[in-house]
Amino acid sequence: MATRKVRYKKLNIKTPLPVLREDQIDPSEYESLTNDGQIATGVEQAEENEYHLQAVLRGAGVAADKEIPVPPPQESVLTYEELYSRPFEETHTYIRFSQTVEECIGCMYDMTEDDEVFLKSYNQKRPPASQLPDDDFEKIMEVFEDTAYIRAPFASVDQTVVPYDEMLHGLHDLDRAKIMPHAKDIYEYWKARRQAVSNKPLHPTLKFEMHQESDEMDPYVCFRRREVRQTRKTRARDVQSADKLKRLRKELEEGRQLVMAALHRENLKADMLKIDRAIFEQRAQLKAQKIRLGIKTDDDDLINAKPQKRKAPEVPAIQRPPPPSQLRAPVRPDGRSNETDLAQLTERHLEKETELRIEIEKKVRNHNDWNRNHVDLTRGPLSPVSGPRSDLSFRPATTQYLMTPPASVSSASLEEPTPMELDNTPNPGPVFKFRGVAQDAESMANPPGYRRRVGRLNRLWIDRRGLASPPRDVDGSSSDRWKYDQSSDDEEDTPVYEVDPFDTRALKFRASVPLPIWMSRPVRPIVGIPPPFPPNHPQQPHLHPQHQQMQRGRDRARGPSPGSNRTFVL
Amino acid sequence: MSPSAEATVGSDGPRQKGKATPDSLKVGCIAQVVKDGQPRRAEILSIKETKSGRQFYCNFDNFNKRLDEWVPVARIDFDQDVEWPNPEKDKQKDAKAKKTAVVPKKAPSKKAQKKVAKRDRELSVASDGQTPHPWTEFTESQRNKGDDADDKVNASLEIGGGTPDMGPDEMELDEDETPAGAAKKEREERAPSFSRVEEIEKLRTSGSMTQNPAEISRIRNISKVEFGRYVLFPWYFSPYPECFNQEDTIYIDEFCLSYFGDLKSFARHRQKCTLQHPPGNEIYRDEAVSFFEIDGRRQRTWCRNLCLISKMFLDHKTLYYDVDPFLFYVMTKRDQFGNHLIGYFSKEKESTDGYNVACILTLPQYQRQGYGRLLIQFSYELSKIEGKLGSPEKPLSDLGLLSYRQYWSENIVDLLLTNSERDERVTIEYIATQLSMTTQDVEHTLQALRMQVYHKGEHKIVVPEKLIKQREKSKTKQKRLIDPDRIQWKPPVFTASNRTWGW
Repeated sequence: MATRKVRYKKLNIKTPLPVLREDQIDPSEYESLTNDGQIATGVEQAEENEYHLQAVLRGAGVAADKEIPVPPPQESVLTYEELYSRPFEETHTYIRFSQTVEECIGCMYDMTEDDEVFLKSYNQKRPPASQLPDDDFEKIMEVFEDTAYIRAPFASVDQTVVPYDEMLHGLHDLDRAKIMPHAKDIYEYWKARRQAVSNKPLHPTLKFEMHQESDEMDPYVCFRRREVRQTRKTRARDVQSADKLKRLRKELEEGRQLVMAALHRENLKADMLKIDRAIFEQRAQLKAQKIRLGIKTDDDDLINAKPQKRKAPEVPAIQRPPPPSQLRAPVRPDGRSNETDLAQLTERHLEKETELRIEIEKKVRNHNDWNRNHVDLTRGPLSPVSGPRSDLSFRPATTQYLMTPPASVSSASLEEPTPMELDNTPNPGPVFKFRGVAQDAESMANPPGYRRRVGRLNRLWIDRRGLASPPRDVDGSSSDRWKYDQSSDDEEDTPVYEVDPFDTRALKFRASVPLPIWMSRPVRPIVGIPPPFPPNHPQQPHLHPQHQQMQRGRDRARGPSPGSNRTFVL
Repeated sequence: MSPSAEATVGSDGPRQKGKATPDSLKVGCIAQVVKDGQPRRAEILSIKETKSGRQFYCNFDNFNKRLDEWVPVARIDFDQDVEWPNPEKDKQKDAKAKKTAVVPKKAPSKKAQKKVAKRDRELSVASDGQTPHPWTEFTESQRNKGDDADDKVNASLEIGGGTPDMGPDEMELDEDETPAGAAKKEREERAPSFSRVEEIEKLRTSGSMTQNPAEISRIRNISKVEFGRYVLFPWYFSPYPECFNQEDTIYIDEFCLSYFGDLKSFARHRQKCTLQHPPGNEIYRDEAVSFFEIDGRRQRTWCRNLCLISKMFLDHKTLYYDVDPFLFYVMTKRDQFGNHLIGYFSKEKESTDGYNVACILTLPQYQRQGYGRLLIQFSYELSKIEGKLGSPEKPLSDLGLLSYRQYWSENIVDLLLTNSERDERVTIEYIATQLSMTTQDVEHTLQALRMQVYHKGEHKIVVPEKLIKQREKSKTKQKRLIDPDRIQWKPPVFTASNRTWGW
């Protein structure tokens, strides 16, 4: 091969290659790219040169008769059908299975030949009824082994033998009546067997990790646990994780600061409340003092002086975007609440109103300018709508006149205005307020008014105000009429009729009366209707006979009074 | 050109040579031993006394370890010189084995880590020495029961003179992590230094194969396995319970894969065990075989048992770490008794190296029947569904390499011929994506089959005539194939917590 030294181009895996058969190309014109030595076989180098492998490789593809010799397997002499007696039924669908080996076996203790010998001799000594079957023997042994493993996992090292008493707990789950008579004997046997194998589990077990040092090269130690993967330590990774830790620490610190600040704020708030309270109490004292000393001032003392409005210098602070990681309203450094900076609603309204007013005035001016050379013969800015509206569903709620006041108004002087008169009034005034009653001097002071409104279900309401009610005649018969309208059960509670005490009739009457009882002895502070009858009139309606008697009784008790007049003065 | 020309045993430097007797022959010696009727250099790895006399556990030069065997004195040629283990070396070994303070003095330049590794290796060797279990040969059935005590004594005696053949020059090579046994200078020169610590770290995060010879226990511990209808003779060490070394035969339930040293226990177990197929979901079924998918995390016991079995037949498989990060795809054959295990491959749930197979094994009783090819095909069918290019984890075993080479070449030739019929050009990448193979594997296969040529300034692919003939021949044969339409499988998705390496 050294005869032709051709430098080959490196073959790219994406280069399209023509595929030829051997007869399509002259063998003398090409050579194989590589010789065997350079081909990576993937076999461990120490074994690459093994005799049999090389023998086969050299004849690659030529002869299949060369084989690597291996120890040949043999047919077993054991009766397969005896050992594997369970028939298998093929499923129609693919098998899906997740039980573990342990779940498929059941009792994990398998009797050995030694056990068999022991059990045979053990059972020989017993009547057939109380013999221990193989299955139960295995169950007991399993309990012993399991309990020993749980209670003394390092039994083979520290030689702990789990006592029989501790085994009992595990035996409870078994069929006790059958098993308990044997348990103690089997325990002794189990113990002896464990001692014989230096207290290791009776079943041969794999060697797992016990002690790192000695395990490391022990070929029998297998299936070690993998420690959690450690990431490879590189400088970049170190820096990365350091950065992460730093950031974490910073964030935690910020969180802590936040909590501290919140605590501080709340403490300040509490202090403020306390101080406010103290101030209020001081003020209350001041007030009390003032009252005591008779100093008269207005109540401003009790109200906090309005804080001086400052032009807020921290407006830009509010507009500044909040820190990205914080979801928290910015706290003002001066501790003042934000409200002081906020515009009051009333102020806003005021502002708006003035604006509006100015606007209207401007409009009016403009309108006047516009109308300067225009003569308005209609006098009003708008001409009234004449004729029925084309809209039939129009509700004539805006009619300019009202229905006549109810006819029940008894006043003779009432003068009904006619619709025409209303229309003709030079200034109709407010739509819902007009005068429609007599214009005498009295009523002028408090002129009556009407108001029309539409209520539910399109009911039309006329509200009235200032109409003089018809005078009531207050003669006895009519006043008596109300007496029985009272629903009160209180018989004593006589009705009280309010009457003008300066009524001439009453004055005249009172003058004719000697001195009325209520003047010398004000039983009723509220002046009722003075009794229109003489005091001694037997038919006095307001005094019950009982009452009169009582008064007389009193008189008698005092004995004969010097003057009859005085009898009325009690 | 004979591959055996290059000695792999005891090539670590000049050795003392001389005549030996059966009594003076010790562990570490290299002698001429008859293998298959021919004398062959062999290293003595262990010595034991049996009723029929002393036996020597021999590793034959340039033969795979699966051919190691116990040989009687009669097969050793004492007329020829024996190469003795290096004496200085032995002294140091002695010192180290006793863990005296000599170690740092002897190797002062070594880093602590290396020291640990060295010492560990010693421990490994020692432990090997203590467990030289009779692997009674399958051909000659010279069983020796009851000699175990003797063996042990003998072995522990041997530890002193124990681990052989580490030349003084090796000690200067700080990075050398060679096994105490068959260290080879030439190998070391080629092999990148790969410390044990690095190896363990790599295994922790991915993979199931070890490239560190120190990981491999050199002496078979189980001699005979009853498995279903077959008796298997293990090829390599497997970390079954140590007490099984005493047993002539161990019994493995072919469904739940539980292991027993005692026939009575096994029989009792068989009465209780209800499992009749691998404990997972069936994802493929045709007339001949089924595939089951099993999660190592969910079926820990079963998967551990499976690994223990496969370790008996895979030299470079490691059981150092647990089975959690692997999925197991198990091929079975159905009959009226259940689904019988034929073979399996394991696959990392998430492979950082893009492997689609971690370990792959056809059980010996089913080898050379085309099942390995089915397993390989199935692994690539899964990769196709995943839309990934896959490759088996390295190192491959000799048998693994042959199986893969065959699968690759057949498929590539097939693809190329269909393309050549249509007169289309192909790229390496096209072949790779069509077959879900990595481009490296495609290139290696093309080169191994001498198909990639350089002609008139252009790269070309030439399909050799013999391969075309072979293809036509194999077409006439009824071949087992996987029917991709019958696969009922979606790539499993694992959450981060499922993928963590810890428990």
